[in-house]
Amino acid sequence: MAFWTRQNKDTKSKEAAIAADFDASDKPYAVLQNVSLELEGRPVLQDISLSLQEARVGIVGLNGSGKSSLVRLFNGLRMPTGGEVRMFGVSTEALREELPRYVGFVFQNPDHQAIFPTVEEEIAFGLTQLGVARAEARTQALAFLDRHHCGHLAEKPFADLSEGQKQLICLLAVLVMKPKLLILDEPMSSLDGLATRRIGRKLAKLDQKILMISHDLDLLRNFDRVLWVDEGKIRMDSVPGDVLPAYEADLEQRAERDPEGLQP
Amino acid sequence: MISLYLPGQSWLHRCPVRLKLLCLAIASLLIFPISDPRLLGIVLIVVVGLYGSLGPQGLRQLKALKPLVSLVVIIFLLHIVAGSWLEGVTAVLRLVVMVLLANLVSITTRMDDMMEAVMPLFAPLRLLGMSPRKPALAVTLVLRFAPVLLSVYSSLREAYQARSGRRTSWRLMAPFLLQSLAMSENVAEALSARGGADGLRQDKA
Repeated sequence: MAFWTRQNKDTKSKEAAIAADFDASDKPYAVLQNVSLELEGRPVLQDISLSLQEARVGIVGLNGSGKSSLVRLFNGLRMPTGGEVRMFGVSTEALREELPRYVGFVFQNPDHQAIFPTVEEEIAFGLTQLGVARAEARTQALAFLDRHHCGHLAEKPFADLSEGQKQLICLLAVLVMKPKLLILDEPMSSLDGLATRRIGRKLAKLDQKILMISHDLDLLRNFDRVLWVDEGKIRMDSVPGDVLPAYEADLEQRAERDPEGLQP
Repeated sequence: MISLYLPGQSWLHRCPVRLKLLCLAIASLLIFPISDPRLLGIVLIVVVGLYGSLGPQGLRQLKALKPLVSLVVIIFLLHIVAGSWLEGVTAVLRLVVMVLLANLVSITTRMDDMMEAVMPLFAPLRLLGMSPRKPALAVTLVLRFAPVLLSVYSSLREAYQARSGRRTSWRLMAPFLLQSLAMSENVAEALSARGGADGLRQDKA
């Protein structure tokens, strides 16, 4: 397919190609070729090559291993310092400003993600970002909240919601933009067990492809593929049945060998 | 919770924002020159009546005056010292009436309606190459993050109290500022993840 082989400068046809190509689900949505990333002179990711097409991909790894930087390469929040990241066949350098249209990102802390004082405004924001007029955006936002059984929250101040409701609204605020890929960076870390299960069920039903970082390994057991990131490299890349036990065993072993965390 | 908006469907909620702002401006211009405390008293009663027209929860919104109490007392005392207590009454009444009127618009207008109404005022920024959306977004962010910053401060204070026994200290200012700055980076990142302050370019949709 011509689209894959040449950089398309004409955005309209790029969009059409992205839509058509990506919906053929056997195409990888993300391809990394020898990607490395340095932040303030410190190597964060080293020579990573992979291609992702599975509907559900999980990422595990210790804090500081580079997981968060890795997922930020997929939505253009970070640009590789070496190699190339191609999303939907196009280099993220070329697609940077349009990536939020295709890639939704849910952050760890909902209080850092919500920008607006009330729930309805937060949802409507995504629509106005896509060019929908204010009044229409509000109508659509209310209908969207209703569809997701959150109509009663529409007028509430974001600050008054429970943690679970906050994260749910953050998720909806991203979904309302109809992304093709949803990236979640430890979305459950501030949630209790009930809210975690609720959000987990919601995620399982989505049509979007999902790429999720999680320290709660149970959430990844039904995924199609899990990447284990360790010291800026992919240490293991396989089905959860292989990766998760190996990762847990490694954690046990490291805690046993170095109980105080004295070694780097 | 700092966002002042009082959800509801009253006649004032349905009234167009620009009309409310215009009425507020005209009322302020008319009220400001009034120096007869009796007349101001009548105006105050009318304003309280307007709050009453929103129902009992409307009257509860008169609490907006609470932070003004110390200021009012100081103004009044200064006038007494200067031997002009009647002028003091006038000054205090004028202040209270103005604040209540402005607050009435705040509690019956949604944030984004307000932004949309004032956005044309920022239009000249376009000449300087700046998007008029930016100042509007900035105001929104202030409203959104004031309660978040308060809770950051209160957790710092709790952490301090848990280990020092004392309630608060000026020393908390440094970590508070650092945490706020770190948080602003996260928020900026979240904003760019959804297309940034200027929105996604429409010619491409």
